[in-house]
Amino acid sequence: MNKEFKVYFFVGKGGVGKTTCAAAFAIGLADRGYRTLITSLDPAHNLGDVLDMKVGEEATRVLDNLYAIEVDFDKMIAKHLKELSDKIKDIYGYLRIFNLDRYVDTLRHSPGVEEYATLEKIIEIIKKNMKNKEYDVLVFDTPPTGLTIRIMALPTISLIWIKKLMELRLKILERRKAIERITGEKIKAFIAGKELELASIPEEDPIFKELKKMYSEINAINDLLINDKVTSVVMVVNPELLPVLEANRAYEFLKKLGIPVKSVIINKVIEIPSIPDELKVKIEMQNQAIRKVNELFRELTIIRIPFFSSEPRGVEDLRNISKYLEDLYKGL
Amino acid sequence: MIKLIKKKILKFMDIVKGTLQAKSIEYVQVELRELENVFALILLGSFIGLPSPPTSISLRLLPYMARELLIMQSVSERLDDMLGEMAGLFEIT
Repeated sequence: MNKEFKVYFFVGKGGVGKTTCAAAFAIGLADRGYRTLITSLDPAHNLGDVLDMKVGEEATRVLDNLYAIEVDFDKMIAKHLKELSDKIKDIYGYLRIFNLDRYVDTLRHSPGVEEYATLEKIIEIIKKNMKNKEYDVLVFDTPPTGLTIRIMALPTISLIWIKKLMELRLKILERRKAIERITGEKIKAFIAGKELELASIPEEDPIFKELKKMYSEINAINDLLINDKVTSVVMVVNPELLPVLEANRAYEFLKKLGIPVKSVIINKVIEIPSIPDELKVKIEMQNQAIRKVNELFRELTIIRIPFFSSEPRGVEDLRNISKYLEDLYKGL
Repeated sequence: MIKLIKKKILKFMDIVKGTLQAKSIEYVQVELRELENVFALILLGSFIGLPSPPTSISLRLLPYMARELLIMQSVSERLDDMLGEMAGLFEIT
């Protein structure tokens, strides 16, 4: 596995400015000579809006070293489902006779499909980069926290399931072997009118082999996600209590999964020398939230980005923001 | 005459061996069937409201699950009689 490149995930509550921070970080990387790809995985895309240019589903050039992708969610889910339904249709191909195969398409509405499709997209981009070594840094702008942590938990959850299924499968194979030893012959089963000999050792059992294959595929992704030399999660919060508390829950969860969270960006900090009376309460609440960030995330690098009078848009505005992210670049 | 007796004894021994074999694997066979049933139920239990693994795991294993599915079906058809079968297995009368 090529571990020369780095992967950054920007995670946070909806509307805190993940895309702006991720895009500013990516521009700073490109300016420092790192070949960078920024990918928006948020179904409510605004990467193109933030960069003030049209960003497509294929890598679109932003700067010399910077390319951007806005993942087409509908297409991504459709692709994921096509792969799934092709497998099902292969098995139940006869359904075509009755034109029933189109009902398989209702899979689109099954729970968890969005998370799986997003994870597959992340894997696809990472694998492509492992092969082509096109980029030094992959930056992912993620969907709001809830969905993101479910996506990131998927490899771990899948591994737990696969491990348990492998244990159970081994017990089945042991029992088959025991019967074989007594009878002196392979167990036979009639399936679809054909007599088949059942496997009794892991190397011959197609189910065990498939489980093992799945385990190694998912484990490779999980290894990458938990490798702190490759992956970094950057939490983005606003100086308000609710986003900070939500970020803390996500932080604790990601820590349990072993995914390295390294920094927190407090975005949109109001910094004015003389505070008008109307803003005094707001500023006090902001200070409280900042104190909470310092208390909850004391192991992490904490970065502050001020509130700008106009909404940052376009490469120049973002380049200006990237100056505040100096501590993030030190980790490269 | 001796040949005939020998043949009969061998046949008798075969029957005894077969019976002992059948008896000794009866328990393992039931255990195996139940393990295969549980395997299928875990993978495809969402049909009956059991929590199941991520869909892609179930789907990738589905092509190889013909035997387990048949077992699951036959066990579910005989669910009412399973207690009786267990009683027979452990010779509870």
